[in-house]
Amino acid sequence: MKGLLRISIICSSLWVTSCDVVNLEPISTLTEANFYKTADDMDRAVLGVYNRLQSRLPRDWSVFEMPTDHLYMSAYRFIGGLEAVNTLDFQAQNDIFRNFWQTTYNGIYRANMVLDKIDNPSNYAAGQKEKLEGEARFMRALFYFDLVRSFGGVPKVDRPLTVEESKSMPRATEAEIYQLIVDDLKKAVELLPVQSGTVYGRASKGAATALLGKVYIYLEDWQSAYNFLNQVDQYGYGLVDNFADLWKESNEDNKEAIFAVKYLPGSNGHRLSLDFLPYFGVEGISNSTGGEVALVGWSLHKQYLEEDTRKAATITEYWRSPGTNDPLEWKPYISKFIAQQASASGLDIPVIRYADVVLLKSEALYRLGRKEEALTELNRVRTRAFKGTSHNYTLADIASDDQFLDVLLLERQLELALENQRWFDLIRTNRFIQVLSKVEWGYNPITQTAQEVTLTPKPSHRRFPIPQHEIDQAYPNVITQNEGY
Amino acid sequence: MYLHSNGQKRVRFLKKHVLAQIALSLWCFTFSFASPLRIQEMLNKRISLDLENKRMEVVLKTISKLSGASFMYSPELIRSERKVSVSAQNQTLDSVLHELLDPLNITFEAHENQILLRRNRSSAFDPSFPGDSPLSEQAWAENRVTGKVTDEKGEPLPGVNILIKGTQRGMTTDFSGAFEIVVPSDESVLIFSFVGYLSQEVTVGGRSRIEITLQPDQKTLEELVVVGYGTQRKSSLTSAISKVENRKLDQMPAGRAESALVGRLAGVNIAQTRSLPGAAPTITVRGPGSISASNDPLIVIDGFPGGSFSNINMNDVESIEVLKDASSAAIYGSRGSGGVIIITTKKGSQGKPKLNVNSYVGISQPLLHGRDKWIPGGQEFYDYTARYINRDYYWAGGDISLPLWGDERRPAQYRVNPVIAEGDWNWEEILLQPAPMQNYSVSVSGSRNDAKYYVSANIMDEKGSMMTTRYKQYLLRANVGLDISPRVHAGLMISPNYTIRRSNYGGSLQNLIKMPPFLSPELQPDGRYLTPRDYWGMTVSGGVNPLATVLGSHNFTHTFNNVGEVFTRFNLLKGLDFKTSFGFNVSYSTTDNYAEAKVTANNQASGSASDSRVFNWINENVLSYYRQFGRHELNVIAGASYQHNQSRTAALAVQAGTFANPTIWTLNNAIISPTGSYTSKSQWGLASYFSRVNYNFDDKYLLSASLRSDGSSRFGPDNRWGYFPSASVAWRVSQEPFFKGVRGIDELKLRASYGAVGNFNIGDFQYLGTIGDAVYSPGDQLIQGKAPSSFGNSELQWEKTASYDIGIELGLLNNRINLVLDYYNKATNNLLYNVSIPAISGFTNTIVNVGDIVNRGFEIELTTRNFVNRFKWETAFNFTFNKNHVKSLGGGADQVLNSHSRGMSWILKEGEPMFSYYAYRMAGVLQTPEDMVNYPIMPNQRIGTVRYEDVNKDGQITPDDRVILGNFMPKVFMGMVNDFAYRNFDLTIAMQSSLGAKMWNLENLYYQGPTVSAFLIPTIENQWWSPDEPGDGKHPATSLASLEFVSNSDYYLENASFLAIRNINLGYTIPSKITQKLKIDQLRFYLSVSNALIFKHKDFKGYNPEGFTSAGISGINSQPGHNDGTEPINRVWALGLNLNF
Repeated sequence: MKGLLRISIICSSLWVTSCDVVNLEPISTLTEANFYKTADDMDRAVLGVYNRLQSRLPRDWSVFEMPTDHLYMSAYRFIGGLEAVNTLDFQAQNDIFRNFWQTTYNGIYRANMVLDKIDNPSNYAAGQKEKLEGEARFMRALFYFDLVRSFGGVPKVDRPLTVEESKSMPRATEAEIYQLIVDDLKKAVELLPVQSGTVYGRASKGAATALLGKVYIYLEDWQSAYNFLNQVDQYGYGLVDNFADLWKESNEDNKEAIFAVKYLPGSNGHRLSLDFLPYFGVEGISNSTGGEVALVGWSLHKQYLEEDTRKAATITEYWRSPGTNDPLEWKPYISKFIAQQASASGLDIPVIRYADVVLLKSEALYRLGRKEEALTELNRVRTRAFKGTSHNYTLADIASDDQFLDVLLLERQLELALENQRWFDLIRTNRFIQVLSKVEWGYNPITQTAQEVTLTPKPSHRRFPIPQHEIDQAYPNVITQNEGY
Repeated sequence: MYLHSNGQKRVRFLKKHVLAQIALSLWCFTFSFASPLRIQEMLNKRISLDLENKRMEVVLKTISKLSGASFMYSPELIRSERKVSVSAQNQTLDSVLHELLDPLNITFEAHENQILLRRNRSSAFDPSFPGDSPLSEQAWAENRVTGKVTDEKGEPLPGVNILIKGTQRGMTTDFSGAFEIVVPSDESVLIFSFVGYLSQEVTVGGRSRIEITLQPDQKTLEELVVVGYGTQRKSSLTSAISKVENRKLDQMPAGRAESALVGRLAGVNIAQTRSLPGAAPTITVRGPGSISASNDPLIVIDGFPGGSFSNINMNDVESIEVLKDASSAAIYGSRGSGGVIIITTKKGSQGKPKLNVNSYVGISQPLLHGRDKWIPGGQEFYDYTARYINRDYYWAGGDISLPLWGDERRPAQYRVNPVIAEGDWNWEEILLQPAPMQNYSVSVSGSRNDAKYYVSANIMDEKGSMMTTRYKQYLLRANVGLDISPRVHAGLMISPNYTIRRSNYGGSLQNLIKMPPFLSPELQPDGRYLTPRDYWGMTVSGGVNPLATVLGSHNFTHTFNNVGEVFTRFNLLKGLDFKTSFGFNVSYSTTDNYAEAKVTANNQASGSASDSRVFNWINENVLSYYRQFGRHELNVIAGASYQHNQSRTAALAVQAGTFANPTIWTLNNAIISPTGSYTSKSQWGLASYFSRVNYNFDDKYLLSASLRSDGSSRFGPDNRWGYFPSASVAWRVSQEPFFKGVRGIDELKLRASYGAVGNFNIGDFQYLGTIGDAVYSPGDQLIQGKAPSSFGNSELQWEKTASYDIGIELGLLNNRINLVLDYYNKATNNLLYNVSIPAISGFTNTIVNVGDIVNRGFEIELTTRNFVNRFKWETAFNFTFNKNHVKSLGGGADQVLNSHSRGMSWILKEGEPMFSYYAYRMAGVLQTPEDMVNYPIMPNQRIGTVRYEDVNKDGQITPDDRVILGNFMPKVFMGMVNDFAYRNFDLTIAMQSSLGAKMWNLENLYYQGPTVSAFLIPTIENQWWSPDEPGDGKHPATSLASLEFVSNSDYYLENASFLAIRNINLGYTIPSKITQKLKIDQLRFYLSVSNALIFKHKDFKGYNPEGFTSAGISGINSQPGHNDGTEPINRVWALGLNLNF
């Protein structure tokens, strides 16, 4: 029996270890329980919000440039659903829309988490809390702006949800979403420091002001748009002298970069540079591979005049197989974003730059009847592009409002090509049916013929379809589909 | 009527049969570890006792305890139930025994520490024996028969029972196997019986001398089976357990121990998905039931749960048991849902040291497609390439009559350089070549004084048939058992091993084999290998030369692993034992990768390194109680187990292009990347309490019930504990009196079981909302931002599998035919998996417990001994049918779909097998421009692509036309092992067959010529090339430019059924006459051929019908059945020898 006693002692002591074995804490993983405690935690959480945009942005062209006349599919089909977007065959099942929706809402979630926890820390430096809140609001507004322009009214999520809540939340109206955006941006303008008070790659007062002005353009509130766009000037932004300099890593933090997402070559780079490179690479950039996921459409290509400095900075027409002495071949490709380290490029991607603000301001002024001032703004961009005033427009060139829209859209196309503006510009000006019914893709310089393609844009294309997957995840009949899908 | 003694029976049994399994049995060693004394010493030992009117067996047991001797006797023949008295004061054992036994006409014989009791030869008649009469004794006096009984090896068998049929008279053999008996007449029949051997009946027929050899009863019902925390007699099992004994398993030339088990176990599917040296096969027991929490079985090595076959040398294995139903696995509770595989290693044998050497050398020969299956280089290759490129040009609207080369009007990407018609290299042959393998195992086992030992060493070196791949393994093992006192036994086990693996290409073989025939494998004078684009800058594939890849990639993994355990077993009271053990598994692994500049696309050397460390300890404490009273037999265990696992990983990456020179390959020669380098740690713990009762009434009615509860750190505090009960019953119908008359049926057992097991194989701490890295670089400064990476779910709990099993066991014709049938239904509930949730929540999925998956099936195990005499032939056949379906997905979803970028989808849908293929069905090929109008097509579809079936007949092809197209799981799999023996020759043939699995063989695409690559004829024959060459209407144009309209159909789905002769082993044992002179017990040479023949379906175009590059089922986004280029199967020829001293 002594043995039994001994054993029961052993056993009962082992009971204690059972708790030690089971009640364990994570060693290398942060959890909601131990994060969002300090000012530094909150700062990192805000960087997490930027991180989401940083990862989405390099492929935004697949949603916003692919359906336009700027791009067409190559033979290398790595991205599922891309050809359908290219040919305006929009389907609710398309993964491109789904990924865009999911990533953007994840960004919103991260911003909501920051706003939800912003009062937790007590060790903020002076002004830090305001700055962080302003950044989270700016980013949330930016994400919603992308969503509302793409899908129309979407579920309005302005705080962290439970899974249950997320299944029963219906779409808000477009107006409600815009209200959220305007509110957030107004607050952000108030809270954010000016550019000199922060670093490049983080939102500033100027960025929030510019974005708010742009939002009012979409709301067709021309006066408010003008007011905010005009305020941007007071923060010291301006056009860089040489258009090509905008696309150099060495010149990233320039006066035109109102808000650009930062990348570092290698360690924090993107693949946009590689996406448009010819499949077999480009000498000195990527010696053996390129994405060649999409090629530059002749519809865009032909718009560039030879003397336009933006042409060479946007498109490279001739190519030779790297490592060979083959003669140069006609093989136009987008070279705007080419960077030395193509597979992990450090080239920043602009979200809103001063040239965009200038063109938007021009538009607002014209709509307000201030045509002369409108042309002055438009010509600022052209003067830079043509290294002089030779190609400036005069009032005499613009016979009608429609014609103004023609030159404005052309200018936006040439200036902001592949910067994800074209689709929204066509939609908001109602030009998309006219422009996209017939597009030109490839071009054969020997035969001097372009490949004409007939598409069938429909009014319903104004909105992308709500991803079917997301409709299915919600409870039945909670999320309605857009008209026409 | 078996020999029965105070424990000694077990020793005898142990020696002859099951050796070490029994060591795990908690109740059979109670008295068996007396020290061996020399006979005389033992008999001279002085003892004192005083017993009055006690049963004979009690008296013998007492003497045994006092003297250390153990007795061996037949209870019937010495009538051990009769009461006797004995009294002695400090007398020698010898005199006490004489005093006790002489009056009873019982003689005794001592040998080592055993004492054999027999009835006095000179007086077979025992007046006290019921049924005997002096009269008959006289009448028989004339017929005196002497003889000898030997075992199958010719060794004398002591203690064999000899009974005169129809009487209760009998005799026992002595230590030299000899006997002498008086029989009533020439017609008398003698029945020879002995535990573990087949009984034999012999008619005397006037002979005065009978020499007889007893054959071991391989399938004896007394066979012991290792179950969780103990052993059980096979006859008293109530659940579905399959067992394989290591007879020749260690003679199969294979790098991994699992390979030897292929085709040998019903319900257990072992698929060798990759053929790289050291690659682990996938084991699935009774169908997959889990989506995210792993379907791997729990591997228990000598009681240590959570081991791995990679740490096992098959030579050390005694037997392998698979606990298939939830009832048997429930004792491992939380981790039994994938089934439990118990590996029992060899333990020390009794007596003098025995040396065993097993060694083989072999050669692996890859089973290639062969040169005649490829389009050869030269004009033919040029022509095919031209066709391929013209087809693309035709689609692009070009004029294909333009010259292929030298005409500016033809766009560059549609030209064909004539240079590609030069050279004829076959890359399959260059990269895959026969490679040697060798394996040397030595083991010594024996006992000395109070210790028993088994020690072994093994070296294995396997070169892969894939150039430069290699797997080397060094294993040691020591299993030691110590008798500290008659009541305390202790044991120690360690098994350190070290492996080195070189795997020199990442991912899929197609990237290398697809190289066009004009590409030379020759090293250039400048130290470079040519690339396809050195021949022709345009259009051809941009890759590097495969030789640069395999020769320039230096990827090594070194792993040290040791499973070690110590245990002590105390005998507390009669029948009550307590065993406590402490074990640990420690594992270190380091990986070094270096790719020379020539390997990489951007011509920059790259490198990385990683380390991992796992320390896992376990403490188990088990009380066990065994008691037999009358016809009742009771076996109870209760125990507690605690396990803790700590892991650490470290990774180092270098910044691209920073290697300072190509001389030094370690990372001190480069700049370390800040984002790719880290260390991280994690841990999990499991505490468990369990108990089990086995009850057996009269060997007829068997009952077993168990309950285990587990607490795991992987679940939230409120849901940590799971309870896993089981119950099973069996009825041995053949033991019933009414069944005695049934001729031919020796054993009929019906059994039924029900049990629940769990699964906790999700990541650590997933119940917590975790915060992950979200790096950003504001101001060009890299900063580690943070963002939530998962939703917390404190509700997370155990995934549970409840299953029932109904089985019949049948033994026919003296157990020469044994049949086991099982039907099972296995339902996995509360599936742990990542369900999709609305993205507006912030996440697209979160891990929850919802959904049910059911596997139903039946199994047949049939073993027959077709010939048992000089020519022996045994057959073991097994058959498994399994049907899997998703019963519910929970969370309101009725299907979950995940898609490959090339269009194939995998669906989880209620009522359908999990991860079924889901895509369009191909109805033909759009062969003519008219077809493009006459049939519904998808937008942008090209002529020559697949004509889809318009399933819903709505006149268009939409996602609604997709249908379920089969799945990756075989419906039926079978195995058959035939063993033959004749004189000194023996032959084993093991076969395996699998029917009904489908593979999405996307690999084909790479052999169809995209961007100028090799053409594999079976994949390109009869394709659509142009409206003038429309093919046979069954093979669409497979060009990259149109592939999305091909690969989203069932065109690449292939029937992966096969029949394989997995192993042939032919052995010759040198006759004992010769070996005895050399003082060798046994010397056997063998020739072993693995994967001797594989019969594949005619439509199957890959190398290996089990070869999948996708990692099976591992989460909701799994794409099981997808093959992107696995290696060919190797046929391995090996010559080996097996030597025993």
